[in-house]
Amino acid sequence: MISSEDARRKPVPTPDADSAELWRGLRDGVLLLQHCRDCRHVQYYQQGMCRQCGGENLSHRAASGRGRVHSFSVVHRAPGPAFKDDVPYAVLLVDLEEGPRMISTYTGGSPEDVTFDMDVMLVCEPIDDTTTLPRFRRA
Amino acid sequence: MSDSALRGKVAVIGIGMSPVGKVPGKSPLWLAASATKKALADAGLDKRDLDGVLSCHAFASPFHRFSVAFSEYFGIQPTFSNTLQVSGATAATMFNIAAAAIHGGLAKVVLVVASDSLMTGLTPDLALRSLTESRDQQYEMPFGIPVANTFAMTAHRHMKEFGTTAEQLAEVAVVQRRHAARTPGAQQTSPITVDDVLNSGWVTTPYHKLDCSLISDGGAAFILTSAEHAKELGIAKPVYILGGGECYTHEHIFLMPSLTSTGAITSSRLAYEMAGFGPKDMHVAGVYDCFTGTVIMMLEDLGFCPKGEGGRFVADGQMTYGGQIPSNTHGGLLSFAHPGMPGSLFHFHEVIAQLRGECGERQVKGAELGLVHSLGAGFATNATTILGTEATL
Repeated sequence: MISSEDARRKPVPTPDADSAELWRGLRDGVLLLQHCRDCRHVQYYQQGMCRQCGGENLSHRAASGRGRVHSFSVVHRAPGPAFKDDVPYAVLLVDLEEGPRMISTYTGGSPEDVTFDMDVMLVCEPIDDTTTLPRFRRA
Repeated sequence: MSDSALRGKVAVIGIGMSPVGKVPGKSPLWLAASATKKALADAGLDKRDLDGVLSCHAFASPFHRFSVAFSEYFGIQPTFSNTLQVSGATAATMFNIAAAAIHGGLAKVVLVVASDSLMTGLTPDLALRSLTESRDQQYEMPFGIPVANTFAMTAHRHMKEFGTTAEQLAEVAVVQRRHAARTPGAQQTSPITVDDVLNSGWVTTPYHKLDCSLISDGGAAFILTSAEHAKELGIAKPVYILGGGECYTHEHIFLMPSLTSTGAITSSRLAYEMAGFGPKDMHVAGVYDCFTGTVIMMLEDLGFCPKGEGGRFVADGQMTYGGQIPSNTHGGLLSFAHPGMPGSLFHFHEVIAQLRGECGERQVKGAELGLVHSLGAGFATNATTILGTEATL
């Protein structure tokens, strides 16, 4: 059961062994994707083995940051008190140029401007001293 | 006819529910026990007759092992028990697993029970945040993604791909409210129009407030046993489990293979195959309805209409009385009650009551075959159960 105090704080990602490199990369301004050297599968998010072939021969490479909006939804009713001051904001499903799809939020403009198939560009936005989130602006 | 070993081997012999809606001062355990007393009375059994308990977690309860905590609360010591967690799909999985356990000899008389107190046990803020906590803490939660949001993005894409309209989504809420108006104890019974839905304020586009299900207190309970034992007990109208199927396609919404075709296609196909019936044979359905667009996509994926036609199907009156598949005749999560994970159990309660011919003015005439589909976590989890009367065996 979650407490009222917890609900007022925004959830901050806690990196694990699989994902530490991703969050480090974002702090440095790049979105790292995992490329499988065995089967050439490209994946987001980070994990210890390839989701396609199970191989562990993975390398991290920076994404171009270019993507396209596959779907979106503008949030007007915040999921709890921590996000009440942020509404309205647009949650995006972005198809990255390299293949993987990821979830993010729109930045740098009105959420009402978001459309299907809109071209977007990665923006690495620090939310505190240790965490940077990958968001997207209009390309 | 299917040659499945499970088909028709297990029957539901008792059903019950607690008061639903706003039930202040009652814990999830009380709600579960209240429903169980009614289900036992309905079956003509005593609590000592139960040797199995399946349940799921309640957000307003501190107990991780809810089925175990429930057994202590209710004064029983079962020899088969589990607290299952596949979000909204848990309801149908409890029926499927109870049937398999009974048929496999792990238990003789199994209680399926779930309850929660999302409305008064938690504040609405805490209820929404608790549901949000089920999303991934690294890749989803930091972006402030309400539960409605993942479903909203699937519905939005459905609108883009198939021309489904906001009015068609709203029609689902309107139909189900009309159903709820005839259901004693339903949480919301005042008639609504399509305009009321469209003017009810945004939650997360394309969903307005009235496109979203309720937040409720409540619980439901069911007693299951072998078809053989149901006969020995002289149960008047056993309702048989004819088929079950499940499908789990992803965990994160961004890894959902398609935003508009779900695991319900597979889970229902498996259930139909086991039952030896198809979608056109069903007389009544309980279709998981956390949001209006969910129902439209499920009517397609469960095979009641072709992909992309769900909006028109609903607008043509096909999901209500006189249509192809009267669905959510109790009002569903949108109007009857939605206490979280137990929500889909009320669909079971309704479909079973329909098959027993006990629904009064809501009765679907001649209902012998029914389907319940439960799902959760942005379509990550899907489970289908097909139920039938003695005549369908």
